[in-house]
Amino acid sequence: MRQAESDVADVMRALFGTPSEPAWPLEILPDIDLVNLESLRRAAGSVSSEKDGTHLGLFREHCVVCHGISGDGQGPASQFQLPYPRDFRAGVFKWKLTERSEKPRREDLRNVLIRGLPGTGMPSFSLLPGEDIDALVDYVIYLAVRGEVERRLLMGSVSVMGYGGEPLPAEERLVYKGDRDDAEIIVDTVQRVVQQWESAQDTVNAQAKTLSGPEDLDTSSSVERGRKWFHSKTANCVGCHGAEGDGGIETLDYDDWTKEYTTKLGISPEDQVALQPFRDLGAHKPRPILPRKLRGGTLRGGNDPERLFHLINHGIAGTPMPGVAIVEEGDGRGLSEDQVWDLVSFLRSLNGSE
Amino acid sequence: MSSSSYLTEGIHPPARTAHRLSVLAVCMVWPLIWVGGLVTTYDAGMAVPDWPGTYGYNLFLYPLDTWVLGPFDLFIEHGHRLLGAFVGLVAILIVIASLRHEPRSWVRALSVGLLLMVICQGLLGGMRVVLSDRTLAMVHGCVGPAFFSLCVAVSVITSRLWWRSLDGNILSIKLAKSHLFLAGVIFALSYTQILLGAKVRHVLPDALAAHFTLTVAMHITVGMLLWLLSVCAFVGFRRCGDLTLFRPVFALLLSVTLQMTLGIGTWVVNYGWPGILGTSFIRSIPGAAEYLIHAKGFWDSVIVTAHVAVGSLILAISTMLALRVIRTRHLLNQSTTTKSLPEAENAIVSASKAFS
Repeated sequence: MRQAESDVADVMRALFGTPSEPAWPLEILPDIDLVNLESLRRAAGSVSSEKDGTHLGLFREHCVVCHGISGDGQGPASQFQLPYPRDFRAGVFKWKLTERSEKPRREDLRNVLIRGLPGTGMPSFSLLPGEDIDALVDYVIYLAVRGEVERRLLMGSVSVMGYGGEPLPAEERLVYKGDRDDAEIIVDTVQRVVQQWESAQDTVNAQAKTLSGPEDLDTSSSVERGRKWFHSKTANCVGCHGAEGDGGIETLDYDDWTKEYTTKLGISPEDQVALQPFRDLGAHKPRPILPRKLRGGTLRGGNDPERLFHLINHGIAGTPMPGVAIVEEGDGRGLSEDQVWDLVSFLRSLNGSE
Repeated sequence: MSSSSYLTEGIHPPARTAHRLSVLAVCMVWPLIWVGGLVTTYDAGMAVPDWPGTYGYNLFLYPLDTWVLGPFDLFIEHGHRLLGAFVGLVAILIVIASLRHEPRSWVRALSVGLLLMVICQGLLGGMRVVLSDRTLAMVHGCVGPAFFSLCVAVSVITSRLWWRSLDGNILSIKLAKSHLFLAGVIFALSYTQILLGAKVRHVLPDALAAHFTLTVAMHITVGMLLWLLSVCAFVGFRRCGDLTLFRPVFALLLSVTLQMTLGIGTWVVNYGWPGILGTSFIRSIPGAAEYLIHAKGFWDSVIVTAHVAVGSLILAISTMLALRVIRTRHLLNQSTTTKSLPEAENAIVSASKAFS
């Protein structure tokens, strides 16, 4: 396994540099300008500032203590956080206006940085200059892409190339060279991951812009109808959030980031012995996921109507929170658009933000 | 309870200039620690990339308008350096005054030590910048309070109170070995807290989460222990019969209590309410479940920096307390051996008069 880690690390250095000295594989991605290289330079490395007050090393200044150098969510202060700091390497982000399985848009990440996440360790960076926030967005995307490619290559090297047993001879090891088959696999992996990010930027903006609430949003009649859908079998919000939206319902489920080394491998999240090797490598202790307290609580994804509509429709990526299908007429398979807006009204009334 | 005012009446310590200068140093170093803390809070330590100059200028000749009207990072970093340089000048004057008027060789040596320490501290600050080394920043942050403590020590041992004579008022003071032990432990724990706090504040990006958690746990444990010992000291010194000892203890208890509040505040404005407290507990704290951290917020920065500065203040008070206890115990011990005004004390006073 160490051989696989070492070989993949070499490939990653060749393609993406290191988190301290980032690079972008322009030879593979000549037409994709997902990240700004100057921003990466500003966000990476040690903290310093220039004569005009421009800060460098932004990620270490603002993020690294929780998210870790590689964005693995295992920074020094991570064990104190509930929820855990996001592990960017899975490429999964909760607060976005794209479909559940899609990557977030730059605007989504920017929005989280500016808004912050109340009730968590994630601050609002609204006091930072806009260009600093843009640089951080670029760098988070860079770490997410880098991390996901790295993990895919690691998995591929074990499952396909035969790493993990006896050390492989030189000719069978993963190397990034133009004339080898490995290079094709590597290029394909990079392009797939980057393409997902790229497509999220292009396709969703239109959908997000067309969302707008009805005229009777937040009215008492809409709230009352929303209460009905909240308790309905179709949406079944009460199953997790409680009859009055007070949360506190015990669940036996976990988030997707810890499932990676538990249920996905057939290990019970409560099996401390089986988990120990992962914990020794710095993995977080799996914690049961807690349904949000909606009444009087904080809606971490934001409480503006369009955003709530989107979260109800698509669910929250990385969590057990499912989406509700939107159908022409509410028929038990989903809710109609108007019914979802009523649900939005009800949620906002619980939250006091109507 | 006796107080210092009448105890020290008519006493003229030999090195009064050195004492006044050391008090000036104390008054300058605490703001210096505030500004230094602010530099770290705003991550402005590398705002001026060269050293000992500032962007090619001599430190004292950097254009005033560029400094004052420039970016905030530059303002506080250059200000920190300037203030540090002035403290260095005061340290030089303390050495000169001590060498001229101070009869006790160990005090003269201590004043030279003070100067050497401020030079080392300046060099550490410079090396931190030149090498862009975060570990050196932590060392610099630990030496600062130690220097502050030394300034307080020099001002205490050159004060009139130190030279007070053995009279009935002192003989009425009840000071056991346990008082000395308590003062010593409080002093040691105060500095331990500063070391642990510096380790938390200057945590390296690649530090293991387990190590950081352990350091934070130790920081909290020692903090609580320090508070308990401050309460013990408050009770123990309340009836000792000497206000010059009780007042620092009272100030210590207030400072440590304030410091614990600031410590909680510092954590919350940096990392939010810790999840390990449990969701139910956090929800029971008004506003905690909805609390939003604001990176680089003004009041947040003030809280964090105040936590740094009050930590140094606690060390300073504990230094003063420990030295005064040592001195008073020394005088009381002499009284038990000579039963009268000690000849040795007379000899020191006469020697000091001759020297001055």
